Amino acid sequence: DTTLTVANWLPPSHPLVSEVIVPMTEAIKEATGGSVTTNILPAPLGPPPAHFDFAVNGVADITFGVQNYTPGRFKTTSVAEMPFLGNSATAMSVAYWRTWDAMLKQAGEYDGVKVLGVFTHGPGEIFMKEGDASATEVLNGKKMRVGGGLINEITTKLGAVPVEGPSSKAYELLSQGVADGIFFPYESVNSFGLIPQLTKGIDVPGGLYNTSFFVVMNKAKWDSLTPEEQTQIDSVTGESLARMAGAMWDSADAKGKAAMDGKIELTTATDAQMVAWTDALAPVIKEKMDEISSAGVDADAAMKMMKDEIAKVEAE
Amino acid sequence: MELLANWPVGMAALFVLLLVGLPISIALTLIGLLGTVSIIGWNPALSLLSTTFFDQGKNYSLSVLPLFLLMGNFVVQSGIAKELYEAAHAWLRHRKGGLALATVIACGGFSSVCGSSMATAATMARISLPSMRRYGYPDDLSTASIAAGGTLGILIPPSVILVFYGIMTQQDIGKLFLAGIIPGILGILGYTTAVWLSIRFRGIELATEPKLPLRDRLRALKGTLGAIILFIFVMGGIYLGVFTPTESAGMGAAGALLLTILSGKFTISSAFVTLFDAAKTTAMMFFILFGALTFTNYVNFSGMTGDMQAFVTYFGDGPTSVILTILVIYLVLGCVLEGLSMIMLTVPIFYPVVAAQGFDLIWFGVFVVVITEISYITPPVGMNAFVLRSVVKDVQLGTIFRGLVPFVLMDVVRIILLILVPGLVLFLPNSM
Amino acid sequence: MPPASGKRSRALSHWPRRVLAWVCGLILLLLMTLTVVDVIGRYLFNSPLIGATELTEVLLVSVIFIGLPAVCMDDEHVTVDLVTSQMPDWIQPFRKALLALISATIFGVISWRLWVYGSQIYAYNGVTNSLRIPVGPVAWLCSVCAGVAVILTLYVAARDLRRALRT
Ligand code: NA
Ligand code: NA
Repeated sequence: DTTLTVANWLPPSHPLVSEVIVPMTEAIKEATGGSVTTNILPAPLGPPPAHFDFAVNGVADITFGVQNYTPGRFKTTSVAEMPFLGNSATAMSVAYWRTWDAMLKQAGEYDGVKVLGVFTHGPGEIFMKEGDASATEVLNGKKMRVGGGLINEITTKLGAVPVEGPSSKAYELLSQGVADGIFFPYESVNSFGLIPQLTKGIDVPGGLYNTSFFVVMNKAKWDSLTPEEQTQIDSVTGESLARMAGAMWDSADAKGKAAMDGKIELTTATDAQMVAWTDALAPVIKEKMDEISSAGVDADAAMKMMKDEIAKVEAE
Repeated sequence: MELLANWPVGMAALFVLLLVGLPISIALTLIGLLGTVSIIGWNPALSLLSTTFFDQGKNYSLSVLPLFLLMGNFVVQSGIAKELYEAAHAWLRHRKGGLALATVIACGGFSSVCGSSMATAATMARISLPSMRRYGYPDDLSTASIAAGGTLGILIPPSVILVFYGIMTQQDIGKLFLAGIIPGILGILGYTTAVWLSIRFRGIELATEPKLPLRDRLRALKGTLGAIILFIFVMGGIYLGVFTPTESAGMGAAGALLLTILSGKFTISSAFVTLFDAAKTTAMMFFILFGALTFTNYVNFSGMTGDMQAFVTYFGDGPTSVILTILVIYLVLGCVLEGLSMIMLTVPIFYPVVAAQGFDLIWFGVFVVVITEISYITPPVGMNAFVLRSVVKDVQLGTIFRGLVPFVLMDVVRIILLILVPGLVLFLPNSM
Repeated sequence: MPPASGKRSRALSHWPRRVLAWVCGLILLLLMTLTVVDVIGRYLFNSPLIGATELTEVLLVSVIFIGLPAVCMDDEHVTVDLVTSQMPDWIQPFRKALLALISATIFGVISWRLWVYGSQIYAYNGVTNSLRIPVGPVAWLCSVCAGVAVILTLYVAARDLRRALRT
């Protein structure tokens, strides 16, 4: 029998832990008939960006994290982070897993580990302390808190001023008035307690950006399992894990959106706004496509597959 | 080696290494590393070590530490501390124990522009100790009043520890800073009482100086203007949202540098001594922090966290019994752990428990800081006593700790008062 | 600890200390200036300093590790001397030498692991968020500093032991 150590850097009550990681560990135990169990560590082993290497080096057996916490390392991640991709985290996550498994894997970025799943957050929207939400140049000169990844470049292209800081600093930046607004999914605005700090929200069809996540396992540990156990674990991770994570983010987004009711005035981005932003973001998208190609993946084919699969899952 | 997989064995080994004089940073790292090795093996443990030392070293939030230290050092160079002390001295010199009282009050004033307890104690030691010695104050009383007064550095805003706490628990740091003010003033009252108790009950005979005329006393107050302006600049900047509390450290350091230049005491060579000392203190404190984090990882793997959580609710599930149990745990841990390490070690464990019992987390932040203040002045590991020992080479640690007894007692009285009357903490932040 | 006994200012005249002092001092000043420029830029010109956060992070870890050799050189580690101050005098030089060996070993392990870690980061092309500064070489710098700390710790211990045995 094997016990797998799971590293966790989030509070135990965070839905990514309680509704994805914990159910995943239970599913692994059940699928293997109790021969593979898990132990989730009570406190973080280190900062979030270190967690991919924790799995590579066997510090913990299973870790999860965000690819763009280590900039430069995962170039293919942009496939899942592009603007205007989709409205459903479930669809994007399942499509992302399929695309990763079929095409992105070849880039070799994950060769040091066994990948249990990749998935995305719900679509990132625009939230502000104040401003005219219907104006095309609503973001002009606005100081927007950003975390990292593609969204930093998007911010500048939209005429806003990026204010950098980890998500845990978002409250401080907004409540002190250092930032005028934030790009976040509905879920995060709610869970970081930002609703009282904000009055306007713009729902961007397809989302302005996404965040990509991974769940990975130490390779040696994986190889030490029996072939049956490996098949059993594969049956409850991969696409199933992506679907479960996507569904969690979708329901958390719905909850977050409901919590904003009467507190944040939500509008949908106007056609004029969408045209202007699509134009403005074209160079960023081009740049990211080139970066994906540089990782040894056919970027156009991968993007096409991602979009086709999103449409397929949305139609389910 | 396998024995180390049990955390009580690791704890015991840590004590032994500390007692034979191994640097705290090294002892924590060594036991933390070997303990982790005993649980997850050499290669993973060694790679975890590099993460701890490198990734935590480039943790943005922790940049407040060198910058608040730098602010404190520039403030020292500007002579503010001396002027604060002289103002307090002018008003108190004719009273019995006046120099010790002036020391405590000047420490409180200095704390309002310096975020670190160790820096406050080190600074005031250089300024007030010589005059206390000149007037025949016993070493235990004079070093203790500095060591204890210095602890106010982390309670009266700005405060490095409150910033750490706010980051760990996602509480509003501006509110935390406000919450520290009244307990800080209570601390000054407590320490002046402790001075009085020391003199009264040990029958120390102290010389007093003649009373100064009112005009001279008022003139002495003028020297405190710089400190007041810097305090208003830093706190005002935070409240008006001009900068975040994290940024306030850099802004405060720049303000203190400006003040030094305006005071005419600025020279390139002394500025570099100041900068170099801040850098060395930074390195020293961060290596203790890294050691503590390495040790925390070991604790994490060894299951101590779960044991602790179970222990806290063991004596009863109600808020009062939980907070009293936590208080006792902290008093014990505070004796043996460095304050910052203790907070990094325990706050993540305790704050969810405390919140679940209905305590306000701003209140708990101040509770934790007052506990940390106590840990700075209790043996065997009392950082402020160490600071005094390193500044005043000819005093034994035992002497300092002996003098600190009434101060620690007053701190315990203060923390019980804060538990009984939470409004003392929450009144200011709630009126914001 | 803040400033500066006469002894220490005099000691500043030795060149290794002098180099360390200048480098550390400049980094701290830069750290402070970054915040000030960022805040002033944000308010007066509505353009904060891009990359201020990541520059702060890189400078912070640099000053910590460059400061380490200085701490070792001046033997300013914090220790608990409650029991050791009661031990007989003849034992002290040997006790200190032994502890210095342990410290040097730990610094050596840290140096080695940071070098390995730096190479790992370099291999996957790790960079900072907006300025795309390579992170691997920063870890190598820290590794070198920890290596210097090993040498200085051993040097100081050997010097003190020789001195103690001579008298
Ligand atoms: Na303070
Ligand atoms: Na203590």
